Amino acid sequence: MTDPTPTMTFHPQPAAGTPSPWAFPAPERTTLANGLTVLHCNRPGQQLVAVEIQLDAPLAAEPDGLDGIANILARALSEGTDTLTAEQYAGELERAGATLDAHADHPGIRVSLEVPASRLERGLTLLADALRAPALPEDEIERLVANRLDEIVHEQANPARRAAKALYATLFEEADRLSRPRSGTADTVKNITRAAVQSFYADHVRPATATAVVVGDLTGLDLGALLEATLGGWTAAPTAAGTHAPVTADDAGRVVIVDRPGSVQTQLLIGRIGPDRHDPLWAAQILGTYCLGGTLTSRLDRVLREEKGYTYGVRAFAQPLRSNAEGTGRALIAISGSVDTASTAPALADTWTILRTLAAEGLTDAERDEAVQFLVGVAPLKYETAGSVAATLADQVEQYLPDDYQAEIYRQLAALDTAAATEAVVAAFPPDRLVTVLVGDAAVIADQVRELGIGEVTVIS
Amino acid sequence: MANPAPASTRGLAITEHRLANGLRVVLSEDHLTPVTAVCLWYDVGSRHEVKGRTGLAHLFEHLMFQGSANVSNNGHFELVQGAGGSLNGTTSFERTNYFETMPAHQLELALWLEADRMGSLLAALDDTSMENQRDVVKNERRQRYDNVPYGTAFEKLTALSFPDGHPYHHTPIGSMADLDAATLEDARTFFRTYYAPNNAVLSIVGDLDPEQTIAWVEKYFGTIPAHDGKQPPRDGTLPEVIGQEIRELVQEDVPSRALMAAYRLPHDGTREADAADLALTILGSGESSRLYNRLVRRDRTAVTAGFGLLRLAGAPSLGWLDVKTSGDATIEQIETAVDEELARFAAEGPTAEELERAQAQIEREWLDRLTTVAGRADELCRYAVLFGDPKLLNDALGKVLDVTADEVKALATARLRPDNRAVLVYEPTTTDDAAETEDEEAAA
Repeated sequence: MTDPTPTMTFHPQPAAGTPSPWAFPAPERTTLANGLTVLHCNRPGQQLVAVEIQLDAPLAAEPDGLDGIANILARALSEGTDTLTAEQYAGELERAGATLDAHADHPGIRVSLEVPASRLERGLTLLADALRAPALPEDEIERLVANRLDEIVHEQANPARRAAKALYATLFEEADRLSRPRSGTADTVKNITRAAVQSFYADHVRPATATAVVVGDLTGLDLGALLEATLGGWTAAPTAAGTHAPVTADDAGRVVIVDRPGSVQTQLLIGRIGPDRHDPLWAAQILGTYCLGGTLTSRLDRVLREEKGYTYGVRAFAQPLRSNAEGTGRALIAISGSVDTASTAPALADTWTILRTLAAEGLTDAERDEAVQFLVGVAPLKYETAGSVAATLADQVEQYLPDDYQAEIYRQLAALDTAAATEAVVAAFPPDRLVTVLVGDAAVIADQVRELGIGEVTVIS
Repeated sequence: MANPAPASTRGLAITEHRLANGLRVVLSEDHLTPVTAVCLWYDVGSRHEVKGRTGLAHLFEHLMFQGSANVSNNGHFELVQGAGGSLNGTTSFERTNYFETMPAHQLELALWLEADRMGSLLAALDDTSMENQRDVVKNERRQRYDNVPYGTAFEKLTALSFPDGHPYHHTPIGSMADLDAATLEDARTFFRTYYAPNNAVLSIVGDLDPEQTIAWVEKYFGTIPAHDGKQPPRDGTLPEVIGQEIRELVQEDVPSRALMAAYRLPHDGTREADAADLALTILGSGESSRLYNRLVRRDRTAVTAGFGLLRLAGAPSLGWLDVKTSGDATIEQIETAVDEELARFAAEGPTAEELERAQAQIEREWLDRLTTVAGRADELCRYAVLFGDPKLLNDALGKVLDVTADEVKALATARLRPDNRAVLVYEPTTTDDAAETEDEEAAA
């Protein structure tokens, strides 16, 4: 029987037109009188201006027993100033149509402002007030501590958060700050006081060790004068920049099952550490990792999702943890996703088969070509907004990389061959040196996982 | 100092075209970045599904990536990404959208791909794809809803808000039983019914040559036959207020108590919906909102407290309240405080400063959505499909800024009342309770 639906006229697949040149934007670097380093980029048409402040307040500098104080300080910066209460400050930001987010991670505290270009001066004034003269009021700090204690309970119920917590605790020595949750545990957070937050602020929030990145439509603005009049009013005695210790981890192959009875899926997080962005092989590793697990047509999803239907999607990635100028920093290298409980052991078995086949046979030229075309070709889209450009520039500063780093990565990606990508991804994901964390129903999955032979299995609750 | 307005109010240049087969095409040119967005809205969503086949529109959206007459299984992803583009599709109550953002010199490829599946999907659709994507979608459901605390709240509250049999009673993800029951023939019928050029709007935004673009659209889409199998969607109209509170208690293994509610609000596209947006922004969006100040900052009974607007055009919109308690705070404490704040707001209306703040927030969100070519393409489709005219986009922000304090107050008085809401309460089970429940089940 023929399909009764009438048909259309088909045409051959069209060829591409002529590409327009594009390069990752090059920022200009200046220093304000107070010592604040400034990077800025004019992006005509981007009416939402993004400002990123990078503060030299790494988690490793948190006082003993007060894990999470950097996070509390980051949040407390927007809880009022020398002239505004916390409620008034929040109201003034909203009146400017601005958002201000702050968070603490291993390299330091990041404060992100987004504001319409027409209200940039207002936004910068409010941002400067938060950095220069935060009130850090006792009652708001108490509230932030209580809030954080509540959040920890919610995070404990989230399988992805629980997997990350278990992986870091397993990979790193207990003495290394990397082993412990970024925002602290209930035991440490409950001891955080206003005095301790004030002292952490005084020690680490200083213009001479901070950087501001400003990106957006800056046409017709005297940005130098605007910044001097706002962020330039932030003063504090200079201090030596912090140092960042080398990163080490135990990546002997083993399995940790975090028991979550009744889970209908198992959360997978399979990781180790590898080079950070200072390594000359970083671009090759990006390329190889994309071929392994960057999209639903990569090797992992081609089998786990599109052939077997075990998952909504699994991704492989590398995420810098803590970098330094010496290049002894490292990144977390991982595969992450979730699979239905019954498919846990089969999905792991397939994952290891994919990794072993990759090591034995390497990537194909077709995979390499498609990946390069995507990674390089998608850059103008990825960096269309001011916020995405500002975040990347601030990451570079935070990781002690040169301002033209991202532009250089795109030049390298375009020139890499298949063998280089294979070598980098195979080195990044050795099948016998991966720590597997599974958050799921241990009673159902543990025995099957033991039979896989991917490492000794420990069950924790 | 005055509150200077952003430059967002300048209009986009928009042109509209219609092919002989009924396909509506919207173009907006912008050469700032060498990228072009293609967005295709089909006027079909979960509201068109029938009982026993919930989730079919979304499952079908997945099948649209499994190949067509000239495109291999997953070829759509491979070709777009291999050209340096990004892509996806999403399904909501009211529509299904597909989008590609391409480097400008690859626009023609995206048009060829969308045309191929609009005209010839059934040439490639088979049991293998159907069975595979059924499993993928079931895992999507588990990951996003079933395996996370409060994950099924949206589904539960939607079912309470719209009566059984109403087209919006179920959410786009559908039920596991219905996903299992869907057949290949269902998918074929769905395609033949809804995937027609005369049931779609194509928008193209960014670095493009309008004449060349229209010529390509005509070439690739022009011969796809129109068809008229689609029935008008079931009427989603309901009385303006519910009339009595609807309530459900859920006892589950969740980290804290929660009070969630959905208030019945005016349809999207009306001035009253914009008044509702302002009211909910003042009451529950951001850290200067009334509920945040009351519950999180002052009473310290909540860890989060927010109000959001789910805009719906074919049924009443929903005002979405979500409060998670802090420590030992009870639902009664939270509910009393929420009701007090809503009643006070209805009695007094917003202050001038609150209204100004809310308008500035909505203005920034608007700017944020329109900052990318993909965001603009999606909004143009929205105005064309749901309200009949893409050019309405240029007036949309002005309309919100034009709403007065009295209108916001009137909306709050009429709608933000206990007898106009569905309420979902979560009470956590302790580990001991859970064990007891299990024992009882085992004994039964």
